[in-house]
Amino acid sequence: MAILERSAGSRNSNPGAKRGGWPRPGAAHLVPGGLKWILPGFILSVGLIYYSIIYSGYLSFFDWPGGRQRMTAVGSANYLEAFADPVFWMAIRHTVVYFVVIFTVQVVGGIAFAAALHSKVYLANIYKIIIVVPVVVAPATMAPAHIEVWQTNGTFNTILRAIGLGAWTQGWIGQSGTSLLVIIMAGCWGAIGFGFILYFAAIGQIDPEIIEAARIDGAGNIRMLASIVLPGVRSVTVSLGILNFMTALKLFDGPWLLTQGGPAHSSEFLGTMIYAETAGSSRNLGYAAALSIILLVLAVGISIVIQMRSREKSPTGARKQKVKVANDV
Amino acid sequence: MFETRTRWSQLTLQVLVTIAVIPFLIPLVTMVSRSLEGRGWGNYLAVLEVPGFLMFFRNSAIVAGASIIIIYLATMAGAFGFSKLRIRRKELFFWMMMAALTLPEVVLIAPLYATAVKLGMMGTFWSVILPIAALQVPFTILLTRGYMDSIPDTLFEAARLDGANTWRFFWSILVPLARPMATAIIILVLINAWNSYLLPKVFLINDNMGVVTLLPEFFRRQYNDDTPKILAAAVVTAIPTIVAYIALQKQFERGMAAGALK
Repeated sequence: MAILERSAGSRNSNPGAKRGGWPRPGAAHLVPGGLKWILPGFILSVGLIYYSIIYSGYLSFFDWPGGRQRMTAVGSANYLEAFADPVFWMAIRHTVVYFVVIFTVQVVGGIAFAAALHSKVYLANIYKIIIVVPVVVAPATMAPAHIEVWQTNGTFNTILRAIGLGAWTQGWIGQSGTSLLVIIMAGCWGAIGFGFILYFAAIGQIDPEIIEAARIDGAGNIRMLASIVLPGVRSVTVSLGILNFMTALKLFDGPWLLTQGGPAHSSEFLGTMIYAETAGSSRNLGYAAALSIILLVLAVGISIVIQMRSREKSPTGARKQKVKVANDV
Repeated sequence: MFETRTRWSQLTLQVLVTIAVIPFLIPLVTMVSRSLEGRGWGNYLAVLEVPGFLMFFRNSAIVAGASIIIIYLATMAGAFGFSKLRIRRKELFFWMMMAALTLPEVVLIAPLYATAVKLGMMGTFWSVILPIAALQVPFTILLTRGYMDSIPDTLFEAARLDGANTWRFFWSILVPLARPMATAIIILVLINAWNSYLLPKVFLINDNMGVVTLLPEFFRRQYNDDTPKILAAAVVTAIPTIVAYIALQKQFERGMAAGALK
């Protein structure tokens, strides 16, 4: 969704690209036509996605249990039902909590590990692998392991007992007070490594001379992080913000496999609600479609807001840095 | 980055980092140690002997392979068109694609489910491959177009003067030049397709079409909460991914970093 930023930037940096990039006047007609080259990708993605969104909008005005059963037109009842549904608001609240915690942990953990592994540490590559493996292994594959960690006689309770906090042991997954915590912890587990990869690359981009100059001026480690590193990796932080927001909005794998959104909807997310209404036993595809449209509006709306605000703050810096990361990791 | 002038501070940093990575190991160690409970390695044998176990891997390979091929071809051709060729209302087409950039796949499942039921496409690999490809193509085209924009147009001109047609230029010059970007994209798509769970869960309803992310549930049904065997299956499923990552560390990290630019 960094489109606004990026296409504006590419026009500045490469003014010719827009017309096919021909410097000489009058040469444009010599450039071969390219419509057939873009059509496969265009039809596939624009076709399928726009079709789905429009069809979703249409479905959202019906009640439909799926299959051969009748569709009943209900007007805007599905939307009203969603806004009146306490579970919907719980899902929204969980999404916000999830986003805030994961984003914070990812930024702090990511920068800390990235800075530490850019320092003189032995076996840095081993640490790196340990941190990044959770990113590459599918959440669905790891779910049984997370369940084993957090269940009543699981690893976490064993650790608590071992360090003398036996009184705190409880069935973390199965009670409504802590189920969201388990989802968030499992999310953090996979998220820090991702932040780490991006920050590790971005810190490598910071001019060593600046770091040296700051050292000579007497900056300590903490001061260095706050005044040199953090501003230097700002564009990564903005990207992670948008990305995490999307992840939280569409979250499904973790909650579904760990808690199925329960108990008593205590770890419900929009993703699990939409899935249950699409493929669950008492489904209503119309309601699922209405939830999808709400999710879509939230996703597009908020990412545009984030984009605009981050652009106001740094008119040029963000884009350049980002593209660099992609090319030089 | 952190300055460690003294041996003491060096040691402190090393110890701090070591302590900090322990939480990352907890689920992995739990997974392996619990999977060996009861019959020990026998759990792994039992898992591997389940008929159709390898089919899950084959199916994942089909989904990931087909997604990669479709996305690669559509991206290279599309980015070439957008970057170097003459198209009326080019930017309009481009923006129409970019509008789909951040779309979460979960908003597609209700309409696609309804469509797949009507078209009889439930339980076909296409019902998973096409949405995966459709959702990634805008992003991969954005990345690759940017990359191709930085390849000078004069190269295209020179090739044409030497008698190469558009196709020849694309295939013999542009595709090889764009290889670093293509590698990042292939890895990114591989991770996303191999780890995708929601789309296969909705659309691949037959057991013989299961992909690796559906294995834990398959074994839960198969073994009725025989946890060690479920975990053994999870370990076996995780190993190829971990080995692939360690073998192609640099490419994986670049692919994931590219994925963050959305």
